[in-house]
Amino acid sequence: MNSSTGSGGTLDAGVPQGSQPARSMAANLLSIRNLSKHYGDFRAVDNVSLDVRRGELMTFLGPSGSGKTTTLNMVAGFDTPTAGEILIDNQDISRVIPSRRNIGMVFQRYTLFPHMTVAENVGFPLMVRRVAKPQIAERVTRVLKLIRLESFGDRRPSQLSGGQQQRVALARALIYEPRLLLMDEPLGALDKRLREEIQLEIRRIHHQLDVTIIYVTHDQEEALRLSDRIAVFDNGRIAQIGAARELYDQPANAFVGAFLGNSNFLTGKIATANGGRYQVTLKDGSSIEAPARLALAPEQPVSVMFRPEKAILQSVSETSGFTNRVVGRITENVFLGDSATYEVRTASGELVTVKQPFGPSETKTRTMDEEIAVSWPHDCVHIFPIDR
Amino acid sequence: MLLTLQRMGPGRYVLYAITAIAVFYLLLPIVFIPILSFNASRWLEFPPPGWTLRWYEQLFTEEQWIGSIWNSVKVAFLVTASAIVLALPAAFVLVRGKFLGKTALNAFFASPMIVPVVIIAVALYGFALQWGMAGTLFAFVISHLILALPFAIISIGSSLQTFDIAYEKSAMICGASRVQALLHVTLPSIRPGIIAGALFAFLISWDEVVLAIFMATPSLQTLPVKIWVTLRTDLSPVIAAASSLLIGMSVLLLGISALIKRTRK
Ligand SMILES: Nc1ncnc2c1ncn2[C@@H]1O[C@H](COP(=O)(O)OP(=O)(O)OP(=O)(O)O)[C@@H](O)[C@H]1O
Ligand SMILES: [Mg+2]
Repeated sequence: MNSSTGSGGTLDAGVPQGSQPARSMAANLLSIRNLSKHYGDFRAVDNVSLDVRRGELMTFLGPSGSGKTTTLNMVAGFDTPTAGEILIDNQDISRVIPSRRNIGMVFQRYTLFPHMTVAENVGFPLMVRRVAKPQIAERVTRVLKLIRLESFGDRRPSQLSGGQQQRVALARALIYEPRLLLMDEPLGALDKRLREEIQLEIRRIHHQLDVTIIYVTHDQEEALRLSDRIAVFDNGRIAQIGAARELYDQPANAFVGAFLGNSNFLTGKIATANGGRYQVTLKDGSSIEAPARLALAPEQPVSVMFRPEKAILQSVSETSGFTNRVVGRITENVFLGDSATYEVRTASGELVTVKQPFGPSETKTRTMDEEIAVSWPHDCVHIFPIDR
Repeated sequence: MLLTLQRMGPGRYVLYAITAIAVFYLLLPIVFIPILSFNASRWLEFPPPGWTLRWYEQLFTEEQWIGSIWNSVKVAFLVTASAIVLALPAAFVLVRGKFLGKTALNAFFASPMIVPVVIIAVALYGFALQWGMAGTLFAFVISHLILALPFAIISIGSSLQTFDIAYEKSAMICGASRVQALLHVTLPSIRPGIIAGALFAFLISWDEVVLAIFMATPSLQTLPVKIWVTLRTDLSPVIAAASSLLIGMSVLLLGISALIKRTRK
């Protein structure tokens, strides 16, 4: 468990912690094992395994239709898995109905009950648990304070903005202190500024309450801002799981490399391998080096990836610089204030993007159609095998 | 908008006039009959030579009239209650169900709206005779129910259709059992449909005459049947009073439903 709880503790700060039955304190709150969901021949979720640690905020990041919601719905109990297991606290919950799973959920669509006030909505989970009225009122006040909407209790959901409605939905999901909170693109319908504001709110609440959260999004910036770890979904499978930095610096495959941040991809094939490095011959004939992280045979076609900000531009005559180098012409030149982005077309017709920050020493801007060399260090290169 | 009334010039007065005629035409019986019911003349003269409450007095003192009013009220309430009790589960099945022939079943439930009432009446009459039910309250209720049920199912079904099932899901993930979700979330959300269905059912039964004539015996009649029977023997202004009562109840219920709609907004 995360031990950095100096601040708030749980919602029920006044209630002794021993009031709940002792749980097994495994490091992983949720374990998904070989989970699949098929619709006919179509595999919406295809053999997914992952662990969510206690107190962690994990995002499911992936393009539309990659199986994020389907996975989440199976955890919530709204969908039945075709195969696989879902364990919470080491117990299989597949036969437990949603209302008994003690999981909270915030949906993308606004789902506050329109015929109830904000306070009634937030108190609903306690009402169905037959908690005494005065106690409900007290806890509603406390959780409304947590989301900074304490004066909105008597309003109807229709009298709230979209952002406020989602904060109330969050309060409704938090009031019964679920062991796991699921959020399925809760901010998808909001504009960027409001989204960022509520993201901060969610982070604050996550730290304050130490609640375990799975947060679904297809917005990589949102994932980077919120998560302890990110699970990248691709076509019903998990492409990679890790901290943001890890995914960015060490993408496990071309999909993750392309999906998270910007990247350049050049095609080539392995020439030789020695001393932990591969020599790769690119399509335009140039030879580059790459760290040998994977065991690949000579002649293996590969995709060579590096980030635009890891490369520099040089005059063709300059010979200093990094190990790897391709030559081409500038076809695009975008000034972005703190940096400039250039697009360079190589002899093979492939495009390479270079992002050049304007630091204290770098002031030069390049002109269109200029013949130029792109140079980058070998240890920033990732190579992924391409199926022959 | 291209076709606004302002743009039509003087032509719009023609539209106003036609609308006024239509309103007058529809309003005529609703206004004319109540006026006649206060008519002092024995012969339904118009314009009335004087005013009286005599016909109402007769309506509310003669045993046969009171009995028929009371029967109508009982039948209408029973029809309303049974229509809602049956329509709720039927609407759930028709909206939420996933099965073969769902559209066919939908069409089937609407069939009483298409089949001529006389045919339904003849069929029911046959059954009623065979089972010895003619002239019982039960016979009135089940025959009216045939007409009322489609309206109840359709109005409940359409509000269930627009109800987002995500509300139910969030209620359940919040810890509500299926029954709790239904009681606290689904039913309150489709309440307008239930109320509309109940009003329809009540009004359909309240002024239904064809089926009721077939089911009636001299000892058990509903108000519309009593009006019809009386009409054939003598043209007493009590009929106007009884008709006004029918109209008054219908207008009252429509008014209530309008009021409910207003307060919900
Ligand atoms: N009931 C269903 N029947 C058939 N296919 C379905 C069903 N539900 C989902 N799918 C398919 O499963 C795939 C995964 O859907 P899912 O909703 O999990 O995607 P997602 O990652 O949440 O996407 P988004 O970001 O758009 O919400 C989609 O291709 C979808 O069309
Ligand atoms: Mg989704």
